Amino acid sequence: MQNETVLRPKKAPKSILSKGVRDHLVAYSFIAPNFIGFAIFTLVPMFFAFVLAFVKWDGANPMEFIGLDNFTRLIKDTTFHKALWNTIVYTIGVVPFTMAVALALAILLNQKIIARNFMRTVFFFPYVASLVAVAAVWNFIFSPTMGPVNNILHLISGVPIEDLPRWAADKEWAMFTVILFTVWKNMGYYMVIYLAGLQGINPELYEAAELDGANAWSRFRNVTVPQLAPTTFFVLMILVINSFKVYDIFINLFAGADNQLNDSTRVMVYQIYNTAFRSLDYGYASAMAIVLFLLVLGITIVQFRGEKKYGQ
Amino acid sequence: MNYKRLYGMTFTAVLSVGLLAGCSGNNNNAQNNAAATNAPAAGTNASASSEPDQEPVTLKWALWDWEATAYYKPLIEAYQKEHPNVTIEYVDLGSTDYMTMLSTQLSGGADLDILTIKDIPGYSNLVKQNHLEPLKGFMDTNSIDPALYGGTVEQIEVNDEVYALPFRSDFWIVYYNKDLFDKAGVEYPSNDMTFEQYDELARKMTSGSGAEKVYGAHYHTWRSAVQLFGILDGKNTVVDGSYDFLKPTYERILKEQEDGIVMDYATLKTSSTHYSGVFYNNSVAMMNMGSWFIATQIEKVKSGESQATNWGIVKYPHPDGVEAGTTLGTITSLAVNQKSEHKEAALDFMKFVTGEDGASVIASTGTIPAIKNDEVISSITSIEGFPADENSKAALTTVQTYLEMPMHEKSADIEVILNEAHDNIMTKNATIDEGLKDMNTRVQALLNN
Amino acid sequence: MVGSNKIIRVSVKVLVYALLAAAVFCMLIPYVWMLSSSLKMNKDVFSFPMQWIPDVPRWQNFVDIWTRIPLGKFIYNTAKLSVVVTILQLLTSSFAAYAFSKLQFKGKNILFLGYIATIAIPWQAYMVPQFIMMRSLGLNNTHLAIILLQAFSAFGVFLMRQFYQGVPDELCEAARIDGLSEYGIWARIMLPLSKPALSTLTIFTFVNTWNDFLGPMIYLTKTELKTIQIGLRMFISQYSAEYGLIMAASVVSIIPVVIVFLALQKYFVQGVAASGIKG
Repeated sequence: MQNETVLRPKKAPKSILSKGVRDHLVAYSFIAPNFIGFAIFTLVPMFFAFVLAFVKWDGANPMEFIGLDNFTRLIKDTTFHKALWNTIVYTIGVVPFTMAVALALAILLNQKIIARNFMRTVFFFPYVASLVAVAAVWNFIFSPTMGPVNNILHLISGVPIEDLPRWAADKEWAMFTVILFTVWKNMGYYMVIYLAGLQGINPELYEAAELDGANAWSRFRNVTVPQLAPTTFFVLMILVINSFKVYDIFINLFAGADNQLNDSTRVMVYQIYNTAFRSLDYGYASAMAIVLFLLVLGITIVQFRGEKKYGQ
Repeated sequence: MNYKRLYGMTFTAVLSVGLLAGCSGNNNNAQNNAAATNAPAAGTNASASSEPDQEPVTLKWALWDWEATAYYKPLIEAYQKEHPNVTIEYVDLGSTDYMTMLSTQLSGGADLDILTIKDIPGYSNLVKQNHLEPLKGFMDTNSIDPALYGGTVEQIEVNDEVYALPFRSDFWIVYYNKDLFDKAGVEYPSNDMTFEQYDELARKMTSGSGAEKVYGAHYHTWRSAVQLFGILDGKNTVVDGSYDFLKPTYERILKEQEDGIVMDYATLKTSSTHYSGVFYNNSVAMMNMGSWFIATQIEKVKSGESQATNWGIVKYPHPDGVEAGTTLGTITSLAVNQKSEHKEAALDFMKFVTGEDGASVIASTGTIPAIKNDEVISSITSIEGFPADENSKAALTTVQTYLEMPMHEKSADIEVILNEAHDNIMTKNATIDEGLKDMNTRVQALLNN
Repeated sequence: MVGSNKIIRVSVKVLVYALLAAAVFCMLIPYVWMLSSSLKMNKDVFSFPMQWIPDVPRWQNFVDIWTRIPLGKFIYNTAKLSVVVTILQLLTSSFAAYAFSKLQFKGKNILFLGYIATIAIPWQAYMVPQFIMMRSLGLNNTHLAIILLQAFSAFGVFLMRQFYQGVPDELCEAARIDGLSEYGIWARIMLPLSKPALSTLTIFTFVNTWNDFLGPMIYLTKTELKTIQIGLRMFISQYSAEYGLIMAASVVSIIPVVIVFLALQKYFVQGVAASGIKG
């Protein structure tokens, strides 16, 4: 990197702008098309959502500045704590599980195997399908007394059907059910990212490793894992973020006719949505969103440091 | 207080300037609201002269389920026949999150004129947000008598003001499958049943097992289908903050569930079982449900999807010592956007739909309008496919209707808590006592807040 | 020795295939159910015991979905949105990602961190301010609103940047020495090398726009502008849900996405990147 900076000036010696300025302008010109659109249509509204955290606002009437009241309320709000806790449990359950399965699938389906394209498509399918439809099927299959899963379990284990887990309807098992569902639904998505990452690895590296007599496991450890580091960072971050932001999956799996989650399935975004749109407490909802943002920002910084260290 | 207000205004101004930079004329929302609160009847008096304005007007009507609802098109057609200068455009916001969508649209300054109000919590929120035009003045000048609406208008008053008029008023009745009763040799349910008699009859009607099983009764997975039996004696409401009175109701229903008289709530919920399906398939003998199901059932018998071709309706079961015909109700109302640019025309359309002319159009589609006079009732009972027996016709008269969710400043929040606790009880994730205690503490905390 | 090794290898292979087959079967069950439900009457969709092959397949469902709602129009709208958003997303994201990955400039890390962290803010938290803004710009009830909201995402930049990280810096340096401008490097070296990542982004953006519900729900209230996910939910009305039709419409709505996925499959083949590097 440093060497090149020395080499470069000879190419445009007569420019009015100094090289540093010019390099910056080039860099910014790359970012501009996306950033300007992003800033106007996403960042500006986000900024106002942040401002909302310090006011009391019902979405229509004049706002009232209340300082940090919304945040002090959060400290005492046990419903919110429960939502935060559920979200964290969900994230911890989903992230490692999904990463492992997705990577394994990607490596497997990157080999020359029979019906490879067909299988890739099949594993990607659940992600594509409309959530309304697949959540209905899933719940149907896991239905406590009549569903095939419990009937098969009953046949195998002989445990009376009433004593088997009631899955989505059971406060002890609801989280497990939704984690399983999420992994099933999204593993194909992360598999595709890993597949793309695997394409970027130079096959010569594998050849070299093979010449050195490395077996499959050490090739995986010494070539695949480090080469996939940027991809893994991406997958990890997106998984964490998506798990923290989960909403649709819980609504479709648990909400039922009254469109409501209960204590064991309440998650952050549900709480934000309810607070804003049912209780018309936009300020308080924004404060919750900021907590979510800070949590993810913290995780991102830690991960980002890790990635840089690893990348060197 | 003054400082707070000042800060509030500053923030509003910052937001307005930022958000509405270089925009059309919507940036004085806040001022509009404030002004309107101070002078509630402003603008309504003008419409007293009901002389139809010949200027062409286009009104936007916010509603849901345009395709699936039978009365929207006939209502618009009937109105336009007399007001050819008025064009009515519908804006379908979908049924699932309708009130949220509506509130978002209005916060964004959408140019909607006529607003359909789906439920009371949503109505209460719109009133709080000052989105709705107050109607008392308009009702006085046009001599609209609230008594026509059978007490429902009084139930949605907020601080002596009304912001919406009902045009559709559904109430709960019991549907039953005559063939199943005939087969079991049990006498049909009557128009005067206490809870105990209903329970007894349901037990008598339960038979078979597996795919052949017939359940005596059926409770859909809505909270209102179970919990609200408890309010029919008129002694309690669900917004008071004390819920111990619901204990006998939950005990009775859970016992029925345990004894296999009704389907298991958890199973119903997780399998997305819809109440209509089990009724069509002859799996349930009786089902408590709203009157909206009448039109659907008639239509599905015709189309062949409903195999429960021989059916009837009776009045809702009631507690001991309460008159038969006491039931739960839910109203669908129309309101006018306070910021509508065609307020007069919008009010006039609202007056038509919620009035007697609108009522007869709605009744002709098999739906029960809010104004329920003899003409309307006979119009519904004479629809082809409506059960022919006298009891079914008589079932349509009510003596007292309690709203599923009464008007309360915090009804949206209360509803959330009740639904959650109800779900916990019904899925047996909480005992009845735990669930009721949860309701008590959380609602009380909310009310004292 | 050699023989037993071979036996082990074959049996491992058999085991892997058996596992894969079982997994594929699990993945497919819901679709089989969806297909079978799409041929049932509404009341039979959730009836126990399950009937995998309906006695009387109801093909009428596949006729009804086109007549009950303007499904053709919805598919056209959704396709239009998805294609435009995907193209814009690919261009702007890969462009910005190049700067984040291969160029040095002030504020790079902070800006990038900020980009990622904003992904964490749930849309529900800022959708009202955003809606107020879009309306004031007169973009309500236009497809442009959805395009502008979806086309400039931080997600795409993040994804592309991570892939570019895997491309050796030496390659860019060599190109610079050869006199290529940064734009030239992006167009002639990075783009061809990043076909798998571009394909991934294409698929994701396409699927997301295709399946987006809340955005169109808020911004597109005119029937002639609506999209397929709104259409799907039109079969769920206040007091009833017609699952037979929902399933039929779901089956139809998956087809274009699967076509896109299959068409881009060929870029997920090892060696694409490598050959680029060698050439």
